Amino acid sequence: MNEIAPSAAAPAPRLMTLDGKTIALLDISKPGGSIFLDRVERLLKERYSVASVIREMKPTFAKPAPAGVIEKIRSADAVIEALAD
Amino acid sequence: MANLRLLAILQTDCPSCRLIAPYLNALSGRDGRVRAISQDSEEATREFVGQMGLRFPVERDPGFEVSKRLGATTVPTLFLMDEDRVVRQEPGFDKTVLNELAALLGHGPIATPYDGAPASKPGCMSRHLEVQTNDAPAAALNLHATCGGRACTIDLADTEDPFEYCFQAFGDALPVIPPTRERVDKIVRASGRDPEEVIVRIPPCYGEATVEKIAANAVMAGCVPEMMRVLIPLMRAVADERFNAHGVQATTHFAAPLIIVNGPVRRELGFHSRQNAFSNVARANSTLGRALQLILLNLGGARPEGIDMSALGNPGKFSYCIAENEEENPWEPLHVDQGLAREQSAITLFAAEPPHGVSEHNARTAHGVLKSISYSLATVWSYRNCLGFEAVVALGPEHVHTIHRDGFTKQNVRDFLFENTGVPLRCYEGEAGEGVAQRGSYKQITIDGESCYQKFRAPESIKIVVTGGTAGKFSAVLGSWSAGPRGSQMVTYAV
Repeated sequence: MNEIAPSAAAPAPRLMTLDGKTIALLDISKPGGSIFLDRVERLLKERYSVASVIREMKPTFAKPAPAGVIEKIRSADAVIEALAD
Repeated sequence: MANLRLLAILQTDCPSCRLIAPYLNALSGRDGRVRAISQDSEEATREFVGQMGLRFPVERDPGFEVSKRLGATTVPTLFLMDEDRVVRQEPGFDKTVLNELAALLGHGPIATPYDGAPASKPGCMSRHLEVQTNDAPAAALNLHATCGGRACTIDLADTEDPFEYCFQAFGDALPVIPPTRERVDKIVRASGRDPEEVIVRIPPCYGEATVEKIAANAVMAGCVPEMMRVLIPLMRAVADERFNAHGVQATTHFAAPLIIVNGPVRRELGFHSRQNAFSNVARANSTLGRALQLILLNLGGARPEGIDMSALGNPGKFSYCIAENEEENPWEPLHVDQGLAREQSAITLFAAEPPHGVSEHNARTAHGVLKSISYSLATVWSYRNCLGFEAVVALGPEHVHTIHRDGFTKQNVRDFLFENTGVPLRCYEGEAGEGVAQRGSYKQITIDGESCYQKFRAPESIKIVVTGGTAGKFSAVLGSWSAGPRGSQMVTYAV
């Protein structure tokens, strides 16, 4: 074992289309996140034929998301996370 | 209710499954109402049942038939069943849910708020949803193993300079002492521990801090072997969920872990607490602070060009370690405030901004000195922001002398700073800015006849430490990162 060699995980497959997809919008509780995601949600619904949008929020940006939040967005085809202020 | 049963789907290497196991034991009783399905091999399942002392039946799930039929996406998932019908499906670990399920099964509460487990923890992905590849599976990350592997040995050609190699591979952008087998073994022996023993895992990437790897970083930082007696409890402190190193190490904020050393270990290992308390005087302070930083880099993985996202950083990320000048402290030292005995050695961790100096050479009274400090305290985080943080006030001995002479106890100091630190309401008129929108939650007080918002949540948000030299009327204030149970809390461990 060589601890210096980094281990990498493969990214999830990219979506080729948004048509019929379920998109989760995750707010991490930073100020302004809801404004950004409101706009994204509107654009997704107006310009693309997404099947549905799931909105979830972490109770604090300072810690990993709790089980319930992860579970609610797990079924989505993609997640858009609003990270910073 | 009589027919309700609980079925848990578990994996043997999932931390949340390990977390939930004792609670399932508590629910299992004699009536066989709790059963579990393991998604792993017979051998791994047998080992898991033995390690966790499970008192309920655990069956395997070949081909993940049961997991697929029940639609489990996460482990653990608890299924409350009425005969073959699923009444409730609960993924992950959550104490509130556990107590609700216990009540439905006619059982009293099984998960109390401060029993050592977090309130909730996400689970892992169900095995049948894991991406299948032709690659050999990676070794499972077992977050509960108490015995890690030995560190790898790297052989360098004679033409390669070991200092240059280690500088590139392990450094904090400064040269390190190469952790040769001999040097590392010497420190491991001084610890009296097994080199493979896992003390903790270091957030945010949760690398195993085995005794040997802690020792290797201690060598690189320049620690004496005896420093292991401080480093072991320091590792437990930095991995304490209350300190939340995951957030502290990844934030865009200025915070860096500040170590504060108390008790006899200061003298025994040569920690310096007098003039230049925050600087480069003593090997003990400098190398302990640096060892922590190297461990956070090399084992925790929060590299400053990667996961450590701090916008402006903190010079304390080279080394940030002070000792309390208990000899010049007429009150109880910090570790006593934190609940330990005075003669106990201790280390305390605080997610601190860089120190902000307070010069006060003209005030002649405790009131005057503390007023000056309160003006600086009002500026931590940002001036108009209140309540979301804490602060360390590092009182210099000359200030302490004046304050104590006027009859102030340490609690008086905290209370005075709490009552006198605020931001005038007039500062909130005009342009929007940080802290302004939240002012509805602030408490309005009067300071010197002027209406102000109180800066801190409680007197205990202000942590008093005496440190520094006896010449010069200076103190320092150090703001924190986001504080409280949703941010980072000060933690103290006995040495």
